[in-house]
Amino acid sequence: MARYGMALDYKNCINCKACEVACKEENGVLLGADKHRIWVGVKEVEGQWPNLDIVSNTFVPSQCQHCEDAPCQEVCPTHATYYDENHVVRVNSDKCILCSYCMNACPYDARYVDDRTMTVDKCTFCSDTRLARGETTTACQNTCPTKVRTFGDLDDPESEISILLKTRDHFSLKSHLGTNPKLFYLT
Amino acid sequence: MSIKEFITSIPVNKVGIKDILKFEKSPTNLLVAALTLLFLAFFVIGVGIYLVHGHHAYGVTRQHPWGLLIAVYIFFVVSSTGLCIVGSLGDVFGFKDYEMISKRAIFGSIVTILGGFAVIAFEIGHPVRMLIYNILSPGMRSAIWWMGTLYGIYLTFMIIEFIFLLKHDMKNARIFGLIGLLVGLAAHSNLGGVFGFLNSRTISNGVFYPTYFILTAFITGIYIAFIMMGFRYKLRFPDNAKVMLTNLALIQALLLAILMFFETWKMLTGIYGGMPGRADVAEHILTTWPFWAEVIFGMLIPFLVALLTKGKNHVMMFWASLIGMVGIFFMRYDLVHDTQLKPLQMMKTREYMLPPEWVHYFPSSTEMMISLGGLGIVVLLYYVGTKVFNLDADAH
Repeated sequence: MARYGMALDYKNCINCKACEVACKEENGVLLGADKHRIWVGVKEVEGQWPNLDIVSNTFVPSQCQHCEDAPCQEVCPTHATYYDENHVVRVNSDKCILCSYCMNACPYDARYVDDRTMTVDKCTFCSDTRLARGETTTACQNTCPTKVRTFGDLDDPESEISILLKTRDHFSLKSHLGTNPKLFYLT
Repeated sequence: MSIKEFITSIPVNKVGIKDILKFEKSPTNLLVAALTLLFLAFFVIGVGIYLVHGHHAYGVTRQHPWGLLIAVYIFFVVSSTGLCIVGSLGDVFGFKDYEMISKRAIFGSIVTILGGFAVIAFEIGHPVRMLIYNILSPGMRSAIWWMGTLYGIYLTFMIIEFIFLLKHDMKNARIFGLIGLLVGLAAHSNLGGVFGFLNSRTISNGVFYPTYFILTAFITGIYIAFIMMGFRYKLRFPDNAKVMLTNLALIQALLLAILMFFETWKMLTGIYGGMPGRADVAEHILTTWPFWAEVIFGMLIPFLVALLTKGKNHVMMFWASLIGMVGIFFMRYDLVHDTQLKPLQMMKTREYMLPPEWVHYFPSSTEMMISLGGLGIVVLLYYVGTKVFNLDADAH
């Protein structure tokens, strides 16, 4: 049992999108389903030449926030969305009725319809693939050339992510909604 | 009395297909009949397209997963709850003036909710799975679970109440009517809760929708009461109907005044302070034509007609109620669409130099056909009901 989370040193992101490709390859995400499981948000350079505000140009990699208090889990009428033993927010496609309430309730727009099963899908922290094989990294983390992502057990005080969160300042997205995300953006 | 005896003692008219096809061939009747058949054909075609293409046949997207069919489902279940309230005035609360519409309104509440179920069955991706896992794995913290389950119970009570009304067993009709009304109100406010619980959608989040749904249900029920009575008496109302309709028109004026007051404050509190995600959405809503269609058709015109005629011009109220129902449709559409207007993933909206924009949605032809089909089903069931059952008040 673990309590998995992810820290993102997002200022290191170079928007190469290797994470998106690796996620698709690892988890069998359909081609064309771009920016579905994970994505890189882009903030373009502000200002006009030659007075460009270079620091305004940022890349913000994101995905399901694996909230401790996930609105998508609360609103599911059939418990298709559930927390697994590792506190990962998962979807049991056999129970999903495709009412799309979770898609409306998720503040991060992190859910999408998988056209093969016609059920709602999302990032699983590679629980069905890499974690199921006994590995301890996600595909997006493993492939990142600038080591933006650090994945690990938040309950293990010796884990790399726990040490990072103790030593680096960080924030969560839309934290005012009380969802307690387990994705942390390092500043 | 055995169950078989109970069922066989329900008073029904023995009618065949020939009797159902027999009606006065007036231009209005022929137009309604032709439109109903057309809408039923639309339903068959729309469902056929949906079964082949699934949700791809709809205009819904990842950012706008709820579309026209959800709005139409709400339209029908609001109508059902409203008719249940109107029907309960006579047989549950004992107001004698309204007893003449009780049976008709309760039957209307049954057929409208069936129309809603017929539409939502083709919006929910896996309706059969829903029936199974609603019971095996209930999500008790989900407003959709409560809404769906309570509506199922509500329908059962409405049918039982209707049977007792047919048998003129007013005591049992009152008991089941009261339980059905309470369950219906709970179900309906839970439907408001489906939107009110959305913390991520600040324009909808809060107490407004669960209460507003009950208010607008009553308003919708009165609109439909005028329409049903108008068709029943071909706009030549008998004296006892005139008394009831005048009262209903005055109640309607009061309810519409309250609704406009609520809406005004909803928009004011939405805009005040400039809270991102709420104020910008509220300001945007004010610039959209469906909102003004909702206000003008659904509220202003019927309100002015009821007020200026003091509720006494029933023919004008009939036409105002038809216009009102068009407004009520836009009210439901706006509720669903406006909730999803604001893109949630703010980072993504800034990609590729695109400025932040509103989520776009327009219903596909398949959605329109299934929606109109729902209306066709409701009209057909109601018409058959007028032939099979005696929906007029029984003589005391």
